[in-house]
Amino acid sequence: MPEPTTKIQKILIANRGEIAVRIIRACRDLGIPTVAVYSEADRTALHVRFADEAVNIGAPAPRESYLRMEKIIAAAKKTGADAIHPGYGFLSENADFAQAVADEGLVFIGPSPSAIATMGDKQAARTAVKKRGVPLVPGTEPGLRDDELFAVAEQIGFPVMVKAAGGGGGKGMRSVNNRESLPELLATARREAESAFGNGEVYLEKLLVGARHIEFQILADTHGNTIHLGERECSIQRRHQKLVEEAPSVFVDDDLRRRMGDMAIAAAESVGYVNAGTIECLVDEDKNFYFLEMNTRLQVEHPVTELVTGIDLVKEQIRIARGRRMGPTESFLNPKGWAIECRINAEDPYNNFLPSVGQITTLLTPTGPGVRVDSGVYGGYEITPYYDSMIAKMICWGEDRAEAMLRMRRALSEYKIMGVKHNIPFHINLLNSFSFIAGKIDTMFVEQRFSMDTYEASPTDADLESAAIAATIFAHRKRQLASQVVAPAKRDTSNWKWVGRYERLHK
Amino acid sequence: MKYITTIKDKKFEIEIQNDGSVLVNGQPREVDFLSLTPSLYSIIMNGHSLEVVIEERDGAYEVLMGGRLYEGAVLDERAQLMLSRHGGKVAETGEVSIKSPMPGMIVAVTVEEGQAVTAGQTVIILESMKMQNELKAPRDGVVQRVSVAAGQTVEQKKVLITIV
Repeated sequence: MPEPTTKIQKILIANRGEIAVRIIRACRDLGIPTVAVYSEADRTALHVRFADEAVNIGAPAPRESYLRMEKIIAAAKKTGADAIHPGYGFLSENADFAQAVADEGLVFIGPSPSAIATMGDKQAARTAVKKRGVPLVPGTEPGLRDDELFAVAEQIGFPVMVKAAGGGGGKGMRSVNNRESLPELLATARREAESAFGNGEVYLEKLLVGARHIEFQILADTHGNTIHLGERECSIQRRHQKLVEEAPSVFVDDDLRRRMGDMAIAAAESVGYVNAGTIECLVDEDKNFYFLEMNTRLQVEHPVTELVTGIDLVKEQIRIARGRRMGPTESFLNPKGWAIECRINAEDPYNNFLPSVGQITTLLTPTGPGVRVDSGVYGGYEITPYYDSMIAKMICWGEDRAEAMLRMRRALSEYKIMGVKHNIPFHINLLNSFSFIAGKIDTMFVEQRFSMDTYEASPTDADLESAAIAATIFAHRKRQLASQVVAPAKRDTSNWKWVGRYERLHK
Repeated sequence: MKYITTIKDKKFEIEIQNDGSVLVNGQPREVDFLSLTPSLYSIIMNGHSLEVVIEERDGAYEVLMGGRLYEGAVLDERAQLMLSRHGGKVAETGEVSIKSPMPGMIVAVTVEEGQAVTAGQTVIILESMKMQNELKAPRDGVVQRVSVAAGQTVEQKKVLITIV
């Protein structure tokens, strides 16, 4: 008997940039027509060029376009799309949107609204996964008195982190290294939280020194199968933004992979999770791991997992949304080779990572063995200030980590982007750093122990001379051209008169 | 034609002769300089093959070579002479404006008119591309004029603060 399936004949992609292009490619591979939505700033965007149909959904600001559920659902109705893929960011983790899509009789390519809602609420998520024995960062609930907090701090051990219950962004947040400084720092944190959020409640969390960010890719279908596809190491971050990811992690051995994988499956099952998702964890120096949160969507860095498992995650997402059994039947405990991803951002690494807007005047994209580039831009494309600065991702695969790193270095030097500032020089320097090469990284590495100056070899005199010669010949030719192009004198009369004069002269 | 070309503070005297041959500080160089597209060049220099992207931006030249971006100035003899008469250094005194490097929204102005600032001090926080960016004073001075307020949206290149 054939399995019952949900019909998906046309997919609307509720996103933009490289991820919209990535999803359109999977749809093309499956022979499914696609609908792009775009804001007024994105008429020229690559995802519009790639899609079969495209619908304008409003002004450039995301809250006027990519975040407007009713416009996106109306676009699906208008074009006859029967499923919506949310990508990442924008509405991808909005339970109301997933519900609204279902209420309209459309398929949301992702988990259920209730799974999104539970995992989207920090306290509810902790409660849900705790029931399945998932380890959490030791800490307290909000609302305790100072004397209670002192007692708990002794129990979990210093250093600890004081965090505001009312909100984030570093406000009301203090790291406390010893018991002597706790009373004073607690008081300042409470004052700061009170003035920032109108709520002086704080809670304590164990501060994990030298922790790595390691996450597990989950895949679950509607037939009760939940598996993991191994880990991704994402410790190279700046201001909580990931910059480089790799799979597998140098830090994860077979035993840790098995234990963390089991934990990740349990965490996903605790909310009845279906489709692709990611369990994010912190892992300390002693290989103790703690659940951070679950991302209930496709991740930016999903390609590294694809390259070491051979699975097309977007195709699997669509297959699962159709109600079919997913392709792989077992968790992946033996990744094949190694993959590294560098996020290419329009940010100036020499100027505090200031974002850069403007036209990409030249774009030469690397190719060759083991190189994959997922890009949302092209030569001549104008980067606007409305959306985030990530313009592409480059992913390199190798038999082992060394080969993947060497290929990445090679490919970075082939990548040529002009017109806007970008972070390729950062990646080149990172791949030259001994700590990265040795895999000795944690989430504070980029901010505390890395600088552009440390690893950048000064250019040789020969390099400077070559650049000088190139610039000079370029300038020389331009100037010569400018001096030779003299505007031809305009003919002041009609061509017929000219012919007449010519003929008279040559009689 | 003789040029003085400066790349990363290093000066080269480069002469391009009428037959196209190149001399660097008086020494001949073998250069085959081929244009592939308006900004992409293939150069064979003393037998070494280089792929180089060159573009002119705001009067300066940007050379992308081997994954590294070199910014340089190319002056012919006349321009060189003019510059030596006028000094040509970045103004140590006088007015200097901090302009918005991109469109965005002013999150905070951290200085007031009349306030003394030091080079590198954050004067404005500008939100753009979902990030908060700190704009810093290019040199020491006194804030003469603050032309924007927190909450205001600004276009690219708008003058935000003037320092004297």
